[in-house]
Amino acid sequence: MSRSLAVIAIMLLLSPALLAQAPYLEKTILLPPGVVVRHTAVSPAGNFIAALCGDQKLRLWDVSSGSLLHTLDLTGQELISVRFSGDGRLLGLGGDKGLVRLWELPSATLKLEFTSPRAVEALAISPDTELLAAAPLEEAVEVWDLTSGKQLTKMRAPFSGTSALAFSPDSRWLATADGDANIRAYDARTGALRTTTEDFLLEAFAIAYSTDGKHILAGGADRAINVIDSSSGRVLRSFPKQDDALADLRPSRDGKLVAAAYFNVDSASKPAPVVIWDLATQSPRTRILAPDVVPNGCEFLADGRLLLTSGSEHELKVWSVR
Amino acid sequence: VLNRRELNRREVLQKCLALGSVTMMTAQGSTAMLLAFEEKELRKPTPPNELGPFYKKRAPETAVLRATGDPGMPLSVSGQILDTRGEKVTNAVVEVWQTDHFGHYDLDGYRYRASLSPDGSGSYKFESVIPGHYPDRVCQHIHYLARAPGHKPLVTQLYFATDPVFDGDPDKNFSRDPLIHSRELVRPVMLLGDPKDIHAAVNFELCLELA
Repeated sequence: MSRSLAVIAIMLLLSPALLAQAPYLEKTILLPPGVVVRHTAVSPAGNFIAALCGDQKLRLWDVSSGSLLHTLDLTGQELISVRFSGDGRLLGLGGDKGLVRLWELPSATLKLEFTSPRAVEALAISPDTELLAAAPLEEAVEVWDLTSGKQLTKMRAPFSGTSALAFSPDSRWLATADGDANIRAYDARTGALRTTTEDFLLEAFAIAYSTDGKHILAGGADRAINVIDSSSGRVLRSFPKQDDALADLRPSRDGKLVAAAYFNVDSASKPAPVVIWDLATQSPRTRILAPDVVPNGCEFLADGRLLLTSGSEHELKVWSVR
Repeated sequence: VLNRRELNRREVLQKCLALGSVTMMTAQGSTAMLLAFEEKELRKPTPPNELGPFYKKRAPETAVLRATGDPGMPLSVSGQILDTRGEKVTNAVVEVWQTDHFGHYDLDGYRYRASLSPDGSGSYKFESVIPGHYPDRVCQHIHYLARAPGHKPLVTQLYFATDPVFDGDPDKNFSRDPLIHSRELVRPVMLLGDPKDIHAAVNFELCLELA
């Protein structure tokens, strides 16, 4: 009884703070008839939203006008992974048969195209926009030089592929969340292994460098955000465990917050929240999951807003949280 | 124009002889080469299959995954671990993990997860239940990771010919699960015991490639 009262008291204490962070509806984008959005990527510059749609087309909208700018695809391949560069001027797309295309925006000029051995599970573009990393299913991660258009190096976990990728803010290191449940960091250009973090028992599906590059944030099936020292690979601390597994991590530009997207472990198609965590206190600041806001993509913008999308049929709603 | 299709062992040997490359070798060397070709094709390696997202390190060393009273059809899985030369692999470590009867993976603990060591004849065995259907997968399956010194790690999955998804015809319907790339991974299921106390038995041989 006393425990229940304590829980209610904590909820009452927390709820005003959580309500204060309620998402604000920025824009409603009407979808073409019959088009269903599965997942979106939001440009960190805040100008574009790219949606992976059920008809295997990627649609790129201008956020301010809500107009459809481009409809792109991978020539019949199922769309698996999508990523903007930090400046929002490059857009990478990976398919189920290994095709990767990278376009320059806003013109959608094809800048690079190559084929990896298998379905492209994850993509990352270095902050200096010189490198693209692709993680084919259960195969070695490939790093490509965007100036020469050549593959620079490959890095492979001993018996698995890689679920998630992140470049360090100085573009020097590439961190990988691998299927063998280890986190590895490599020299992004040479592929030389820098650190291996073996503390995790379960696979991480989300990885990001902290804004200052000192830490790697990672989590997944363990349902917690873990903070790793970048130079040693040592786990420094773990945030409180949640009900759902981590799918994505997006640190804010000021380094104070991280947005964590979750998925339901027992059925990935069930709704799961986005939670904004305070990195200093390791406590949740905002939890976003309401009947009208089931998030399907998010990104922190330079002005401190978190932009997120919801909706899959008829319309795509764009929300912001300050 | 060079024919780029894969050559079989005999064709390679014939071409080597035609080009004189075998005669360039010592007698011992050519014997070793012949043996290498023979050994390589004695057995086909077990087809790999995706690791999946819920592998967990440091699974307990036990052959009993099923606890007393657990719901689900009791299942015994056994098999030989060989390499592609047909030799028994006795120093392998085989990790297996699966859902329970309800299609739920244990992420907090190690229910239905185990690390197995083969006996002196290279055989492994464990007691479990037929896994449930994980909501985002089509078929019932058990994950395998087999590792042995001097061999490539094998990541694969075991499927059941009795899975209702196959409608009794796994030959025809195995690809209803887009993750099943090989019919070979769908294993026959024997139902044993008294009608009131039936349990299932599956044999799943593992064949590892040399490193």
